[in-house]
Amino acid sequence: MVSVKWLEDKSFRAKNGKFKQLEHSCSFLQGMHFPIYCFGSQSLEEDISFEGISCIAEEEQNMLDAVLLSQWEDRMLKDLFQYDVTTSEIKVITGKMKFLSQLNEGQRPDHQSKSEGNTLHEINPLVFDCMKHPEELLFCLASSKKAKSELTSSASVPGSAILVIINVTPVEYGHVYLVPCASNKLYSILDARSIEISTRLAAEFNNQSFRLFYNCYRPNCSAVYFEAFYLPHPLPVELQPVSTFFGSGRRGIQICSIIDYPIKTLSFKTTHNLKILAAAISEICFHLDEKNVQYNLMISDSGKRIFLFLQKTCAASRAISAWECGGYFLFADRYEFDQMTEAAMLNRLSSFSLDDYDFEAVKQLCCSIASKFDV
Amino acid sequence: MDSKLGLIQQSFNSRYSQWVREALDELPDNFTITDPSIPGHPIVFASRNFLKILGYSQEEVIGQNGNIFQGPKTNRRTVMEIREAIREERGVQVSLVNYRKDGTPFWMLFHMSPVFGKEDGRVIHFVAVQVPITRRQRRNGGVSLSDDASGLNEIMFGSCRKEVDTNSVLELGRVLSLNSSSNVLDIEETCEASDFEQQRAVNAFNNILSVLTHYSESTGRLVCGKRCSAPGVGYISSSLNISLGRIKQSFVLIDPHLPGLPIVYASDAFLKLTGYDRHEILGLNFAVLNGADTDTSSLHQINESIQTEQACTVRILSYRKDQSSFWNCLHLSPVRNASGKIAYFVGVQIDEECKNTDRHGLSPEMRQLSTVGAVKVAVRSLSMAAGSSKS
Repeated sequence: MVSVKWLEDKSFRAKNGKFKQLEHSCSFLQGMHFPIYCFGSQSLEEDISFEGISCIAEEEQNMLDAVLLSQWEDRMLKDLFQYDVTTSEIKVITGKMKFLSQLNEGQRPDHQSKSEGNTLHEINPLVFDCMKHPEELLFCLASSKKAKSELTSSASVPGSAILVIINVTPVEYGHVYLVPCASNKLYSILDARSIEISTRLAAEFNNQSFRLFYNCYRPNCSAVYFEAFYLPHPLPVELQPVSTFFGSGRRGIQICSIIDYPIKTLSFKTTHNLKILAAAISEICFHLDEKNVQYNLMISDSGKRIFLFLQKTCAASRAISAWECGGYFLFADRYEFDQMTEAAMLNRLSSFSLDDYDFEAVKQLCCSIASKFDV
Repeated sequence: MDSKLGLIQQSFNSRYSQWVREALDELPDNFTITDPSIPGHPIVFASRNFLKILGYSQEEVIGQNGNIFQGPKTNRRTVMEIREAIREERGVQVSLVNYRKDGTPFWMLFHMSPVFGKEDGRVIHFVAVQVPITRRQRRNGGVSLSDDASGLNEIMFGSCRKEVDTNSVLELGRVLSLNSSSNVLDIEETCEASDFEQQRAVNAFNNILSVLTHYSESTGRLVCGKRCSAPGVGYISSSLNISLGRIKQSFVLIDPHLPGLPIVYASDAFLKLTGYDRHEILGLNFAVLNGADTDTSSLHQINESIQTEQACTVRILSYRKDQSSFWNCLHLSPVRNASGKIAYFVGVQIDEECKNTDRHGLSPEMRQLSTVGAVKVAVRSLSMAAGSSKS
């Protein structure tokens, strides 16, 4: 397995560099040409009311969606993936939760670098060597001055863009890494802008099946990235009832806690201003980082809902992925896959969950941060 | 658009006899009927009272998807629940915030149920009854609602009742827009309908169903509220139909498990490209596009691709219904369902004559591959829910 090329560029300044951008440079991409998808100004840059975005009819296939699907399928034909993920079996686990589980033999330890249980570190972090495998970079997303979004078939990578890179060991069809970079630098912390852009991206995709995930555990302080793939089924967490505990402010921020779910989860949405919501979430995440709380984000429903999963504080490497928190389990072993029951899954999720006491504290934290922004 | 309106007319006329619309309009209830087999899952009928309450004209609603009534305050989880019910082809009853044409939100009880074809067990239509909710209950005690907002809501739902009495939509609109501009209506997550409202929705559905059943008798193509027979081979479920309907390229699905490898789905663009009607092409072998000058070696390549379960791209001379020919850059690919088994082969056509990059910068080859990808994602949801028996 190749290494993360850009990690070599950075000289491990993680200690004092936590609050500013690390020296992850993506300048090595210079001189190379990739397809560039430019967001129309009206969809990305301008601070338009998010209300406008939230009501697009999902009638026609969207262009950004088409670009990703075509590039991904093209790489399938070129045999760049370690396996065809559509050959893996998915089933619903009997029970009221309707947990989903997938038998993905490609996730086996012998395909992967390391294994211990089903936790995150066995799933490879972003691995992309642009010199050896430039074809793994599908395209870049950038903003443009034009009103309408458009695709340029080949151009150099703009300074600020999101790199869309395939995951060669995909969890589902269309699995990509979305790596934001600004001024040729990768991000070292999850800031408001990367949350906002990712959410707008989900809205621009306008495809219910397409979900974005963020795992706070990043080995070696690697760059901030989201992951995304198509999942035609709703995730169990999305169908659970919610209780709203914040939603009185003028800026339309609404925060709910998910009821009857084994892992402590909050969901955010806004009826007004996405920028403000993104700023609030990034500040919340920043505080969680400080307190050493493991968390994951999931952006679903075309950017209309953002889920925050709260895991208990423990060794960073023992954390589960955002999709697992959402109720989508992966198994490399046929026997385990066949034997899995809802009770076992409930147990597993609750064993990773933040406890009640800390959850209340997190809720209070959310309220105080949200009310600061929501004036 | 004309062809879509044609499909919508046909959706009703082929199933029910002439006076069905009048009979449905005599019912006092608010409801819409949608057809999942038409791209976009459009509304094919909207009752008189429904239009009145929402402030739309018939023309504005027919052909639209039901989501035009949703807005920022519509609970997303509820929308997802409805989508799930459509996917699983079952009924659902939920409370939902809908929006009138003038932008004012209001709660209603949404009761949707499929109507099946008696002879083949296919979903013909979905009937969605909507009962405005007049009494509100809080849930979970977790919602803080300022007095102001409750007051506004009271006025709003009060107006709703008044509306039923006076039938004056204009006046209602004025009252409501006054309210909504003064403050943001704080609509909470859930609003439970009373037993009475729930029963009203069920009764309304039963009345509608009995009208539909009655008027389907004379066409000989009976509908019913329960699935009477398992859908036959080659059946494309409503949800797959809806997903596939979004893809605007020319493509067909072939079922490799059926004798003669029949076409089981054809997109609108395919029908336009080849000149066939949907009912003419479904069930036929893909070879229907071949003609006198079609190269047999290309055909051999296609067959081999199906045998070996591999994707292939061939340039082949194809023939339209009117026997005119075109060079077809065909891409064929196996498509797998949730259990990882091959469910279909998708064949995506590009007419070489119109090989232009579209206005967004997408080449025909990219559109072709994106179609394969979109079909793969859509079919990937199959056979997990479709096969299981839902109560």
